[in-house]
Amino acid sequence: MNFLRTAAASPPAEDAVSSTPTLREAGRRARYWLIAGIGALLVAVVGTVLAAGGGTGGKPLEADSAAPAGARALVEVLRRQGVDVTTADTLAEARRLAGAAADPTVFFFDESGYLTDDQLSAMSALASRTVVASPDFLILQTLTPSVGFGGVSPATVSRAACTVEAAVKADKLSPGGPTLTIPADDAELTGCFPSGENAFALVGRVTADRTLTLIADGTLFSNERIGQAGHAALALNLLGADDELIWYLPTIADVPGTGSPSLGELTPGWVTPTLILLVLVALAAAVWRGRRFGPLVVENLPVTVRASETMEGRARLYARSNARLRALDALRVGAVQRLAGQVGLSRLASLDDVIAMVAAVTDRSPADVRAVLVDAVPTKDSELVGLSDRIQELERATARATTPLPPGRMDS
Amino acid sequence: MTLTGRFVALLALGALPIVLLGSTPGTAATVLGLWVLALLGLGILDLILAGSPRKMILSRSLPSRVRLGESVTSDLYLTNTGARRLTTVVRDAWQPSAGAGNNRTPLVLPPGERRLVSLTLTPLRRGERRVDQVTVRSFGPLGLWARQATLQAPGQIRVLPPFNARKHLPSRITRLKELDGRTSLLVRGQGTEFDSLREYVRGDDVRSIDWRATARHGDTMVRTWRPERDRRVVILIDSGRTSAARIDDEPRLDTAFEASLLLAALASKAGDHVDFVAYDRRVRGRVQGAQGAELLSRMVDAMALIEPELIETDWSAVAGQVRTVTSHRALVVLITSIDAAGASSALLSVLPQLTRRHTVIVASVTDPTTLEATRTRGNREEIYRAASAERALLDVARVSAAIRRQGADVVTGSPADLPPALADRYIALKAAGRL
Repeated sequence: MNFLRTAAASPPAEDAVSSTPTLREAGRRARYWLIAGIGALLVAVVGTVLAAGGGTGGKPLEADSAAPAGARALVEVLRRQGVDVTTADTLAEARRLAGAAADPTVFFFDESGYLTDDQLSAMSALASRTVVASPDFLILQTLTPSVGFGGVSPATVSRAACTVEAAVKADKLSPGGPTLTIPADDAELTGCFPSGENAFALVGRVTADRTLTLIADGTLFSNERIGQAGHAALALNLLGADDELIWYLPTIADVPGTGSPSLGELTPGWVTPTLILLVLVALAAAVWRGRRFGPLVVENLPVTVRASETMEGRARLYARSNARLRALDALRVGAVQRLAGQVGLSRLASLDDVIAMVAAVTDRSPADVRAVLVDAVPTKDSELVGLSDRIQELERATARATTPLPPGRMDS
Repeated sequence: MTLTGRFVALLALGALPIVLLGSTPGTAATVLGLWVLALLGLGILDLILAGSPRKMILSRSLPSRVRLGESVTSDLYLTNTGARRLTTVVRDAWQPSAGAGNNRTPLVLPPGERRLVSLTLTPLRRGERRVDQVTVRSFGPLGLWARQATLQAPGQIRVLPPFNARKHLPSRITRLKELDGRTSLLVRGQGTEFDSLREYVRGDDVRSIDWRATARHGDTMVRTWRPERDRRVVILIDSGRTSAARIDDEPRLDTAFEASLLLAALASKAGDHVDFVAYDRRVRGRVQGAQGAELLSRMVDAMALIEPELIETDWSAVAGQVRTVTSHRALVVLITSIDAAGASSALLSVLPQLTRRHTVIVASVTDPTTLEATRTRGNREEIYRAASAERALLDVARVSAAIRRQGADVVTGSPADLPPALADRYIALKAAGRL
């Protein structure tokens, strides 16, 4: 069939209307979300910064930590008093600083117990004055084997009661906190701020060229508690005796490496950048393959209903409920109607007539035909199958008997 | 905006300098950063240099109609109105059922020039197939990044029913001619009407001599007869929910269209007036008062847009619909489905109103798989299936008998058989003079 084409003779003179927004339109449309996203990001950043400033970040007694557990207050006051406070993270750094200084004081606080006994010995030999805060068992064993732990102080008042100059100046400490014990007959050791039998909050050991001061409770020097009782006086006098102070808090870097090199050390330097590049390539490939070539085209599709669905559904219902007799009845009624047609009776002929006629035509006993078409009741599926076969066989026999032989064939 | 495989490959190629130059993590990261930055720069440059896909005039040239199963070409002209050369891929976004196949065409458009994109459409479904938009992807000179825009360019094509049953038409027309008075008949009987008087020639049946005319004229005159003409045929198609069911992968409605087209072609050849109505709860399509070639073209046009509606047909209004089409006696052909007594009770209740005035044929498509199922009895499941199929056949037989009792005629057949069967019934009725 030839149909007219719509003419393209007079093409429109204007550019086609675009349904894709330009960059500016897209930006205008997304403006709310852009602003909202940036705002949310700002709020998150500001919140994080504020929380970090006033929070509990930083390690305890860190020189520049303003957190309650930090020691910035003490360090700042010391600096203002003219003490040159330098911080060290590793033993090597502390050693270098000690070598550079004339006669420094070392403040040592090892919360996590990074140093080994050898390193502790080396640390104690760095300077002539060493102050150790919160010594643990290994420190005591290495530096002052005779000093032990004394438990929490039960005293309600804690006064110096000793000859150590700084302690005398401090006069009082806030009561409570851990203590250290010293044997009564050791001349080298001095205990201050006693609480009970031989238990002291501060222990000093003076040998020929070295002074070692152990402070049982390092939190006395924290920002939170430095202002209480005589903590400030004690700290300033202990640590500000000289012009130079080495503030040494050991870190993980002090732990000597052991065993074979780790996977990270064996990996060449280009591996991580290459992995990042692969991720970028995957992203770019996703855009390349995934970018849709224009919007989807919408089309209403017709429903697909197979007309035989109802028949199949009814068959499944029969099968599920084992409706043998009902199924067989349907087969029988259909067969009877076909048989009636074949033997020349009307569709409305009575069942008895059909049975008699079929029996006559096929040369069988009417009772036999009747059993197949009416009487037999199947009790098992196998009987149903058998009866169905017999009905079909009866139909075939009737068809054979009623179909006239083709002329001229004498052999069949 | 989008990017190309070339860009992805170049980006992946960055692994080489990173591995070769990046001995330490620092240098490797630097090489990575430089590589990505350089490629981004190139990409942005490419994007800036790419021609705008919006600077485009689009026009279409489309045939308005096509028969289902035939192919047409859809022509799309693109004119580049920008100042830059466009290296593009064009997607002409036809609906999937339009059968456009691969609708992406690479195209180079110099500034100010016009190019043609031709697609061969082989529609898969009847109805109105549309295209609304054309998507143009314009690549930069380096082929790294591309700009993309979707432009409005609406077009549509009407896909008509295939009328495959027309292969039955020549044989039926031959039979009609045998019946028809191309050679005038001298035998008077049912289905004929008076044609003319002419002089007696030897061999004419003496019984057809009109004595009164002979007396008036002086010569022996005989009467000639011809089959009755100018009868009315009203074809009413049920487009309700049962027409959506598929038999042999063809909706009942489409088989109904085939049957009604064949009947209409035949009846208009025989000189009868054919009117067509598709109805469920309202009229979905109607063709009235058309003759000859115009009748068929108007019918396929109306049929193209009719889809099965998933609602129950309002049979009580059908008699009124037939009355609006014709007030004379007519052959009313109802093409619907007769499945079960319950579902057909509405049809049965309206039949007496129609049969009182008209000759009524109820035509229905039957499912050949049902007949097949009654004979397949291999195992337990198949026997239950056969029983269910027998039950379905009995239902159809019972409804058919009820319809016949109401005075109407029933024609059933598989999708392939129904159109010729309906045509044969029409010829039989015409021969019997029952129109």
